[in-house]
Amino acid sequence: MPLLECKGLTRRFGALIAVDAVDMRLEPGEIRAVIGPNGAGKSTLFNLITSVLKPHAGEVVFAGENITGLPVYRVARKGIARTFQLCHIFPALSASENVRLAAQARDARRAAAIADEALEHLRLTRFADISADTLSHGDQRLLEVAMAIAQKPRLLMLDEPTQGLSLEETDRAVQILKAMLRAGDLSVLLVEHDMEVVFKLADNITVLHRGRVIADGAPAAVKADAAVRSAYLGGAD
Amino acid sequence: MSWRLALALVAGVALLVPFVVPQYSLTVIVSALIFSLFAMSLDLMVGYCRLYSFGHAAAYGLGAYCAALILTHLQVPLVIGIALAVLVTVAIAVPIAWICTRSTGVSFAMLTLAFAQLGYAMLFRFRELTGGSDGVVGIPRPPGPFGIDWFQGKTGYYYLVLACLLGSYLACRAIMRSNFGAVLAGIRENEAKTLSLGYNTRAYKTATVVLSYGVGGLAGALYAGFAGYASPELFFWLTSGHVLIMVVVGGAGTLVGPMLGALFFVFLEHQLSQVTDLWPLIFGSIFIAFVMFFPGGILGLLRRRHAAA
Amino acid sequence: MNFASFILAQCLGALSQAAVLFFIACGLTLIFGIMRIVNFAHGAIFMLGAYVGCTAAALSGSFVAALIVAPLAVGAIGMAFERVFLRPLYGRRDSGAHLLLTFGLAVVLSELVRIVWGAQPKSLATPEALLGIVMILEQPFPIYRLFLIGLGLAAGIALWQFLERTRAGLLIRAVSQNSEMVHALGTDVDLVRTAVFGFGCAMAALGGVLAAPLVTAFLGMGANVVIDAFVIVIIGGMGSFLGSIIGSVLVGFVQVFGAYYFQDLALALMYLLMLIVLVARPGGLLGKEE
Repeated sequence: MPLLECKGLTRRFGALIAVDAVDMRLEPGEIRAVIGPNGAGKSTLFNLITSVLKPHAGEVVFAGENITGLPVYRVARKGIARTFQLCHIFPALSASENVRLAAQARDARRAAAIADEALEHLRLTRFADISADTLSHGDQRLLEVAMAIAQKPRLLMLDEPTQGLSLEETDRAVQILKAMLRAGDLSVLLVEHDMEVVFKLADNITVLHRGRVIADGAPAAVKADAAVRSAYLGGAD
Repeated sequence: MSWRLALALVAGVALLVPFVVPQYSLTVIVSALIFSLFAMSLDLMVGYCRLYSFGHAAAYGLGAYCAALILTHLQVPLVIGIALAVLVTVAIAVPIAWICTRSTGVSFAMLTLAFAQLGYAMLFRFRELTGGSDGVVGIPRPPGPFGIDWFQGKTGYYYLVLACLLGSYLACRAIMRSNFGAVLAGIRENEAKTLSLGYNTRAYKTATVVLSYGVGGLAGALYAGFAGYASPELFFWLTSGHVLIMVVVGGAGTLVGPMLGALFFVFLEHQLSQVTDLWPLIFGSIFIAFVMFFPGGILGLLRRRHAAA
Repeated sequence: MNFASFILAQCLGALSQAAVLFFIACGLTLIFGIMRIVNFAHGAIFMLGAYVGCTAAALSGSFVAALIVAPLAVGAIGMAFERVFLRPLYGRRDSGAHLLLTFGLAVVLSELVRIVWGAQPKSLATPEALLGIVMILEQPFPIYRLFLIGLGLAAGIALWQFLERTRAGLLIRAVSQNSEMVHALGTDVDLVRTAVFGFGCAMAALGGVLAAPLVTAFLGMGANVVIDAFVIVIIGGMGSFLGSIIGSVLVGFVQVFGAYYFQDLALALMYLLMLIVLVARPGGLLGKEE
């Protein structure tokens, strides 16, 4: 049974159809990237899955359960954790307080231990008592990922995790993510613009263009797909 | 200086106060302590959740009138009467809190003000019960249980109020430092993120508002027992205004700051009102000055001075 | 026949109520549109206008004097407040500061009124020319209230045309939409804001003078009015001028018919209305999303 299924998801903003009858499946343990040009509807899709936005048509099924339209916090409790495009953390709290709050939602008693573990995974332990707003942009993004995994989710959704990061920070982030994903049995949905990151991490790719799915498959196949090339890759190899 | 030491010192001094000050001063001091409790209760909403309530007089008035009516009509001991008044206030606060927390910012402020105004109007609507503009007078302090009656005198009442204040402070502090308080910190910093972590933020806010009303109601009930009467002024919007001023000037989000603000307010009023009629204006001006230049309040200023030293 | 004339009288009463409400609400919505601030002091400003009007009329013996002096004086106070206290805080992201500041102003104004004028209500006599009643379909109706309807209508149309047709009006609408852009084009946006704030206060003060002959000037008249104005602006949409007209009429009808059919519970009816509107449409019917 697939872990996540999107069936015919549609969302409009006035006359603009941001997400148009999108079908997508994610198997347990799979790492899937969602790519597409700007405005393709990737973040809207994320918001539909996590219930920040309600779809105008279609449904979201998670582990066999229809979660369409549930309150945001209920969706999180089902086992879905996400990061945001514009990094969302608690600026005035320390890094460790940030992650502890995330862990507390899932397991209040072991929250401190889980938080320490998550900070370790993301190599942020040295920042534990430092106020989050003083961290570099790259470290803040990693902190957000630490918070997400501290929730012990079944599905991890990362929205442009490497956006705004330097080459060196991106490399580091990819290494960390790779190590983490291989260790745990986590399913991941990833929105990314950086094609190198996508090809290093993803098992499968869904390509969106103007709200519609135009390709879906293994990286090699997607790379070669003509429709994808013309819409997006522009021949960059 | 550690918190425990400071607390012990303050408590020690407080215990000795009735033996050191003259009786007429004790009246002002008891009022100040009741206001401290009232201000601290508002801080739970304003300082810890950033929910600006312009209608906290409702909690005070509810507590006061409930205590007034319970003590006057039912022959229950004072302490029981106050406890019952708090329970009724909490019960009424639940639907109010649920409705108000649907909104934030200005809308929340307006909703809380609206409920306070509604309460104010209800006092005049049901004047056979509430005495209308005369209020409820001659509130007794029935003794008991077990024949305990030391609170019937001013000194005894002082200790009652002190016990309630200390107890409430310790309880609120513990709550705010617990996991519950950590979630409130998250709501304060980034509510959308807190929601996405799996917390039902509205439930947390509602719980905080109800707690705030409960403690505010306790202050009101203590007032009714102390003053011996409850009047519509307690529900008036300026009462909400004054307590909000105490919180902001004292230093929101610290529990102690608003208590300082209340003491500052009461003592200044006591001193200034003998000299000039303009003292309410002075308070409003001080409030505006603090909002503009000292958002951390008096406590913030003290801490900065302490850190620099 | 009697029922029809009764309903007509109630409707006219509602419209006269709406007229007074309009003067207050349009100021509140204009201020929000241009500054993204809900001026909590608007009720206190209304009250100040009523008291200043009473004194002006008492000193000069003329109602017209009150109608002129009160808005000018109170408008000037409003502009001074905006210039000194609100302007420095525009940069601040924390909207709590604005809320608290305008609240502080409300407190200061209310205490000021109490100190200067005392605790007793002040009355303002309806001017001679507008005294008396007129018979409409065999129902008596006060001339003063007809005057209010007329004045409200005239002011509404005048303001509407001003905003739509004149360059100054266009400027105000532009600043409401995108103040940075307008600033980049060389306009002194700060001045526009001060002017609009002052104008909004002047309108509220005018509402106070007009209301005084009906309800007298009393302490606490501001607190309910600010809630009414807020409900109107929410219904009509924060920042929407046309919305403030629609909202005023709606609330006027709710208040007058509510008072007749529900009497004491009329107050509760208003709050119920506010709840319904806030729950149903957080952005208002015609307003911009916050």
